[in-house]
Amino acid sequence: MDSFLTSRVVTDILGGLTNGAIYGLVALSLVLVWRATRVLNFAQGAMPMFATYLGMGLLSYHWPYWVCVGVCLVAAFAIGALTERVLVRPLYGKPEINPIVVMVGYLIILEAFAAAIWSTTPRSLPAPFSPIDWRLAGQPVGLSPFSLFEVVTALVVMGAIVTLFRFTRLGLQLRASALAPEVSRLLGVRVGRMLTLGWMLSTAVGAVTAILVASNFFTGLTPQLMDGIFAFGFIAAAVGGLDSPVGAVASGIALGVVLQFVGDFLNSNAIILVALGILIVSLMVRPNGLLTRSTARRV
Amino acid sequence: MSGTARRGALALVGLAVAVALALVLAPRASDAIAAAAVATVTAVAAFVGSLPAVRAEHPALARAALTVVLIDVVVFATAFLSVPTDFNLATGAGMAIVLLGLSFLTGASGQISIGNGAFMGVGAFATAIWANHHATTPIVVTLLIAVVVGALFGLLLGLPATRLRGPYLAGMTLAFAVAFPAILSSFSSWTGGDSGLQLPNPVTAPHWLVGLFRAGTPTLTTDTLWLTDIVMVVTGVAFFFMANLFASRTGRAMRLVRDNDVAAELVGVPLPRTRVIAFVVSAAYAALGGALWTLLNNSVSPATYGFALSITILAVIVIGGIGTISGAIIGGIVYAYSTNVIAWFVARTGLDPQGNLASQLNGIIFGALLIVTMLFSPMGIAGTVRHLRQRRSQRERG
Repeated sequence: MDSFLTSRVVTDILGGLTNGAIYGLVALSLVLVWRATRVLNFAQGAMPMFATYLGMGLLSYHWPYWVCVGVCLVAAFAIGALTERVLVRPLYGKPEINPIVVMVGYLIILEAFAAAIWSTTPRSLPAPFSPIDWRLAGQPVGLSPFSLFEVVTALVVMGAIVTLFRFTRLGLQLRASALAPEVSRLLGVRVGRMLTLGWMLSTAVGAVTAILVASNFFTGLTPQLMDGIFAFGFIAAAVGGLDSPVGAVASGIALGVVLQFVGDFLNSNAIILVALGILIVSLMVRPNGLLTRSTARRV
Repeated sequence: MSGTARRGALALVGLAVAVALALVLAPRASDAIAAAAVATVTAVAAFVGSLPAVRAEHPALARAALTVVLIDVVVFATAFLSVPTDFNLATGAGMAIVLLGLSFLTGASGQISIGNGAFMGVGAFATAIWANHHATTPIVVTLLIAVVVGALFGLLLGLPATRLRGPYLAGMTLAFAVAFPAILSSFSSWTGGDSGLQLPNPVTAPHWLVGLFRAGTPTLTTDTLWLTDIVMVVTGVAFFFMANLFASRTGRAMRLVRDNDVAAELVGVPLPRTRVIAFVVSAAYAALGGALWTLLNNSVSPATYGFALSITILAVIVIGGIGTISGAIIGGIVYAYSTNVIAWFVARTGLDPQGNLASQLNGIIFGALLIVTMLFSPMGIAGTVRHLRQRRSQRERG
């Protein structure tokens, strides 16, 4: 039993679940924004990165860790709201490449500003729990207190989002605003506010992700922190379907596990290649994602 | 008919003046002959291209003539510019080809690629790898090979593009741009890993060109001029082909796909094929630009073709005017001179050139311009200029 637990396969699955939780969170934040406003947010990694710098910068003034995390979330809410109001709102109803280009510009500018203010030198964040694997009979099991914390946090965030959307009045208004803005407005829903709220939630989910990534991936906090993670998150969201939160989370976790095996049994360069291959094949088979129902397009 | 005669007379007078100037100003007979030859070709091309009959009946011929005139003027000018300026212009011209491809993709399909820096890298590395295995291949053949390899990569990634709507293509090409460095290091025995590749035989100027210069002119000067002119000619040819494609039946079909794909399908335009062609052409143009960069630098490094380049390409073409031909030229010039302008700005404002802010100014300015352009004038500089001219001519007509 011991040798099984510490075997390569189990270690890979556990490590893959941890990465997959991160990919799932990024995918979820992309889906939240896509469903609310039909914008694929290419700055989805950069906005939370900025919020994380703002909040975690307070650590150097000896603020307690969890207070800094709270500040990160507040900053993320503010950045999300501001972005939607100022940058995204003028783009509704424009050709679909306009929001893409604007969000790429936003990505460039956020990363440049972050590097100008805080430099490109990685800043290490303290992990709230030990990142060293638990050992069983002297062998690492592929799971540390911190990675358990990551998975649990991801599950809690995903659960909270699902609960909010499925079981609350606010969630109903959020869904209604995304699906039928005109009808919702007639029924008295403040659609504009709901769209802003969608962006705020998505950026906050992103901030949680960014903090986890910066504390765990041995990279520390850098302006480009989320570029690679964003690519994996997008792949997960596209494979699962940009319209399906459950699909995004599920395919994020599956992607994490598959890629962990690829990295372990092939090599680290193959990880992104396999991910790209998965994306191409799945888009050819199901252009709108594996887990979305096909819908006729209105002409 | 008198119009033709007048144009002919004008071309002859211009030619006579140019030849006279060449005879008076050129220090040696060989210089005068070269200048006179350039002037003759330019005058003939300008005459042919300006004929109303040619412009109406044979637009492709008129475009060819315009291309010859432009190439002549640019090639003539590069002979008098400094080595760094020539190099800078040629780099911008290579970029302009890439921008043209991206402009075509968006102009033809309404979609956008965030991965053209990686396609550029495909062409750049294909050139270097081929040259390292077949050192004697003529430049033209090497460039064509790079274009074909770029097109094949484009086809591979473009296959799902046939069915993609919305932002999926943008996201997929972004993933390709992020994955490209890993692709390079996966095949490090070919690509040279982190250090990249050198060209075994750098391109050198032919004897007749060296003969035009004063004895003792550094080979750097003549070699750079020769390379610059090769790049300019290739750029001219690439623009000529694209201008024809824009105006052709295929080009019109593609614009219909962009504006209303359902209507396009109803009138019999094959949507999947059209989308794939647009994507493959844009990838091939990107590869050509990258191949020219490899020739210019004599080497290729994987660091050049990272994610940042793909984003820069997108920024520059949007600022120039996406979906237009002139936008690609403007974008190429913006790219060539952005570094100089920013350095000048930094020196002017007294910022610490080694400081964080100065080193990030490029990103801040490009990012801001990108957002401002899209929010307030989505057609970029080219589109805005065209719009202003249309308004003025409308006002003049009353």
